[in-house]
Amino acid sequence: MGIDVGGTFTDLAALELWSGKLVVQKVPSTPREPHRAVIDALAELVSRYDEILSIEFLGHATTIATNALLGQLGLELPRIALVTTRGFRDVIEIGRQNRSEVYNLFVERPHPLVAREDRLTVAERIDHLGHVLVPLDDESIERVCSEIAQRDVAAVAICLLHSYANDVHERRLAEALGAAIPGLRVTRSSEVDPEYREYERCSTTVVNAVLTPIVERYLERLQRELQANRFTAPLYVMRSDGAMAAASQVVARPAAIIESGPASGAIAAAELGTRLQAQRLLSFDMGGTTAKAGAIIDGVALVASEFEAAGRTHSGRAVKGSGYPVRFPFVDLAEVSAGGGTIAWIDEGGSLRVGPLSAGADPGPACYGRSDRATVTDANLVLGRLNPRHLLGGAFAVDAARARRAIDVLARELEMSAEAMAAGIVTLVDDAMAKVLRIVTIERGLDPRYFTLVAFGGGGPLHVCALAAELGIEQAIVPAHPGIFSACGLLGAHVGTSDVRSVLASTGDIDAEEMERRFAAREERARAGLVEQGADAPTISFRREYDARYRGQSFELTIPYDRARDAVEQHFHAAHRARYGYDVPGEIVEIIGARLTANGRVASSPACRAEPSVRSTRSRKAERNLPKRGGATQHRPLWVGGAFVEAPVFERAALGPEACIEGPAIVEAYDSTTYVAPGWNLSVEGDLLLLQRRNDA
Amino acid sequence: MTDPITTEVIKNALVYAAEEMGIAVRNAAYSPNIKERLDHSCALFDRCGRLIAQAEHIPVHLGSLPWGLHRMLEIVERDHGGARDGEMWVANDPYIAGTHLNDVTLVRPVFARGQLIGYAANKAHHADVGGSVPGSMPVEAADLFAEGFVAAPVRLVRGDCVLDEIVGLFRANSRTPDARSGDLRAQVAGNYTGERRLLELYERYGAQTLDAAIERILDESERRMRAALTSIGHGTFAAEDYLEDRSGEPRLRIALRLTLEEGCARLDYSGTCAQVPFPLNAVFGVTLSGVHYALRAVTDPTIPMNEGCFRPVEVVAPEGSLLNPRRPAPVSGGNVETSMRNADVVLQALAQAAPDRVPASSGGTMSNVMLGGTRPNGDTWAFYETNGCGMGARPARDGIDAIHCHMTNTLNTPIEAIEREYPLRVVRYEIAEGTGGAGRRRGGSGLIRAIELVEGSAHATLLADRHTRGAPGALGGEAGGLGRHSLTRDGIERPLPAKTSFAFEPGDVLTVQTPGGGGYGTG
Repeated sequence: MGIDVGGTFTDLAALELWSGKLVVQKVPSTPREPHRAVIDALAELVSRYDEILSIEFLGHATTIATNALLGQLGLELPRIALVTTRGFRDVIEIGRQNRSEVYNLFVERPHPLVAREDRLTVAERIDHLGHVLVPLDDESIERVCSEIAQRDVAAVAICLLHSYANDVHERRLAEALGAAIPGLRVTRSSEVDPEYREYERCSTTVVNAVLTPIVERYLERLQRELQANRFTAPLYVMRSDGAMAAASQVVARPAAIIESGPASGAIAAAELGTRLQAQRLLSFDMGGTTAKAGAIIDGVALVASEFEAAGRTHSGRAVKGSGYPVRFPFVDLAEVSAGGGTIAWIDEGGSLRVGPLSAGADPGPACYGRSDRATVTDANLVLGRLNPRHLLGGAFAVDAARARRAIDVLARELEMSAEAMAAGIVTLVDDAMAKVLRIVTIERGLDPRYFTLVAFGGGGPLHVCALAAELGIEQAIVPAHPGIFSACGLLGAHVGTSDVRSVLASTGDIDAEEMERRFAAREERARAGLVEQGADAPTISFRREYDARYRGQSFELTIPYDRARDAVEQHFHAAHRARYGYDVPGEIVEIIGARLTANGRVASSPACRAEPSVRSTRSRKAERNLPKRGGATQHRPLWVGGAFVEAPVFERAALGPEACIEGPAIVEAYDSTTYVAPGWNLSVEGDLLLLQRRNDA
Repeated sequence: MTDPITTEVIKNALVYAAEEMGIAVRNAAYSPNIKERLDHSCALFDRCGRLIAQAEHIPVHLGSLPWGLHRMLEIVERDHGGARDGEMWVANDPYIAGTHLNDVTLVRPVFARGQLIGYAANKAHHADVGGSVPGSMPVEAADLFAEGFVAAPVRLVRGDCVLDEIVGLFRANSRTPDARSGDLRAQVAGNYTGERRLLELYERYGAQTLDAAIERILDESERRMRAALTSIGHGTFAAEDYLEDRSGEPRLRIALRLTLEEGCARLDYSGTCAQVPFPLNAVFGVTLSGVHYALRAVTDPTIPMNEGCFRPVEVVAPEGSLLNPRRPAPVSGGNVETSMRNADVVLQALAQAAPDRVPASSGGTMSNVMLGGTRPNGDTWAFYETNGCGMGARPARDGIDAIHCHMTNTLNTPIEAIEREYPLRVVRYEIAEGTGGAGRRRGGSGLIRAIELVEGSAHATLLADRHTRGAPGALGGEAGGLGRHSLTRDGIERPLPAKTSFAFEPGDVLTVQTPGGGGYGTG
């Protein structure tokens, strides 16, 4: 069972182990008490069955950590203390000295997570090779312990200079604090992020410390409620990097679950990629307020090693300095404010603009009947792409006249027809969304034309054809239940760990034997940790990698590890070529970090038990089904290329396995509508809808 | 003709094309300066050389890139009969390209079916272009030629082949030749990306629609800029501030009369001091960038940056003055110091019209630290960084402490990286508490960074300002604290001037304290 708590809805996906059938449930989220919605969703599901014998596995995606950092109501961050090297108290506040908006004279730094008076320093110094220059003295330790004891802090972060090279001082401090103040939560930088660059390491440590009490309290409460309702399945939480961790592990590393929600959508797409043996997928998730894109290669969602928590994005790219750097791996997604609720407006220059403001779920689009501001959903309705009477299979009535009036206001201002305005709104939102797809492909050195687009979220299937066409993509997939697809990502779960150790040596200076021994020892520890979290031992696999760069550069690429120096250098040259278009043979290659990722299936997870049956879509393109126009449940006027045409509307559930529909057409389902654009064919592949561009188009 | 939706799509596509050029440059660049600090800018121009889109990371390139493009095209036309299909032209002469020698500008004429349809251009900061000191910013330079290698416009690409002999010339004139050829290659890649996107738009929409859309886009920016300028107010407003000469006297005056009238801004720098025989002169392109930075920040930074934004703005700086020097006056510090002061002066003039929209003066210096030397094993090294200062207090908020203000926005170098790569040890890095000017809102405090030389021998060069005259406060706010330099040798701390260079010995500790920002209001 997977439960994904989002901003507006909490989605549940459950797999019936006896039948292989997927059951879904959607309930409103309860932002002030997010665990409530989880229990609500479970209760709703239970009420649909006479009896649920047992829940074998419970995977969970939560926005609790992000919301806490964003300062959401009811989630005040706790007071914490930071211990750092004397003379460097302000590193955490100064950051990298840049400002996040160049032309904003009123720009602010992100609110500091630890106040200056709670930043304590100790006299000590270690150099970059790990040599102790100034030993940490007992008097300093005692002073810090007593000062912290006098403060009412919920957690302590420790970050000393060069502790990645030698953690002896951080350990001594942590032990002393633990002994002096029993129960105190301590995060030390050499444990959570043992890599160089003091600001990023300190920030990661502080973010982890400040989240510890909040995530601990949330998970405790959730588990208590689950027990009280007799749901006894072990609880797993999706991490930002797309692996899951047992709740007990998450409590010590809460900074690893900040991007929990977005990761589960990408992981659902990655699982789909594995199932279909697809080499290159682009996951595209469009909800009510945002659209997210990510690349998936050979069933693995691409991961980046650092992000800014609670930071802002500007047209899909992260704004440096707007958030709190966290050096934990996360699924590399680009995000833009574009969704069904995104508001269209006309700016001072008389130009039509779409976003970034969103009407969200409340008041929602004009057609929901509580607002008169035109949104993307209203535009889709005016164009006939959405059902003009109701959504959610009839459960939710919409006011088409109000949507039209809202669009009309804008249309009159620019002296055009309501339909042309609606088409313009859709064009502009498609344009904004195409950009995030470009960011995760073209800007990362990948060619989008070789990808299959997977469109989900409530709005993805409505816009999929236009986006594919814009990027030159030939084929797209709409999964079963696109509206709760992210929750499905919690079903095929594996537990994972990943960590980096600082190396900082050129390839020529690495002792291959020693490196091999260290990796082997780390693997043993990781294996034991995963088994403890319930992983099925034979399924555990490891990935060893290096973070490497050319000498003189200050940014790294992650490459496969090899004990042979030549092979490492070849890997690096190749990676540099692939990413940046050139390499520099003969230049010294430096290894900055040694990265180990471990993964294993959870013994009780459904993927170990049952595999839903789906036929592969590969080679499907070769066979050409004859398009059919029959079988439509109804027709309705659809705005296509400047005029209305009577287009067939199909019900997804009624589509047989041999269905092949020629666009323009509409396919309606409970949680989403798919718009098959002119020039595209739609066919059914198992539980998926497959969209292909017609060669004659 | 074109409809508003198509115009909007083309406008977004042009901005995205410029951004994608920037990413292509960053991806292909070798040096951290471009790759990580993003010290580069990219732009697209129409066939008349009008700016149609710009992705700017560093404000000092704003306005100076279009100015430089015009100069370059003039010279290419006059001396070489114009730019041809398949070529790219490169230059770094500040009096042509618009900033300082480190900024190398590369221009690509874009042709479709034999017709010129526009230009793709970019400018990137090359860490070393020769001259008497590493980093090419010698404080003692008496003229441009002492600052480094000067390139007048010359073809870098011909028949779509990079001319190796020109790359070789850049390599031969730099202490870091591999990074130079790597970064030039990145600039070439950036222009090809811009060309590809411009051609795609041309193919998709046709010349007529594209031209019509560009007219509308420029007109729209102009209209919004005029409206924004009108909203500031009207009248004539005077402001002045001073830079300190090498003896520390704050006598290098920047004087401005700003006239706001019917949506137009006229900036007259008459009364500004004459050019000086040391590198604080700012070429006119740099002067323009300070003006456009300040106007953009006070009006509306969401206005699409193109030629339309420049139309209602007129800038006059007397020839031979600090802000419009005659060649070959030295200019390397104009970019980093004079540009900062100019931005504050323009902002203070605007503040008289709209005091609630402008902060007090900033710390106003990039506090440049250039260290270089030899390790005991004979290896040489060079280190350059700029340091943040205190931001001026804002009408409703305190100024931010220890931050890059106005014309710069780069990332600092991590201490753990410095100590790994150079024979240096950072012994202190903190906010200089209480150095912001007092007032109803407090100015931001400067920072303190103390660096020790661990071994070998070295030479240090410092270039900073506001060491004798603090950042003025606004509306009765107090001035920000002064910057301070000192050298601790054998346990004795001695003060150092703001602009100096000296032998740096093992065990010496150099302490840089940067100035605070001005306070805002009384009480």
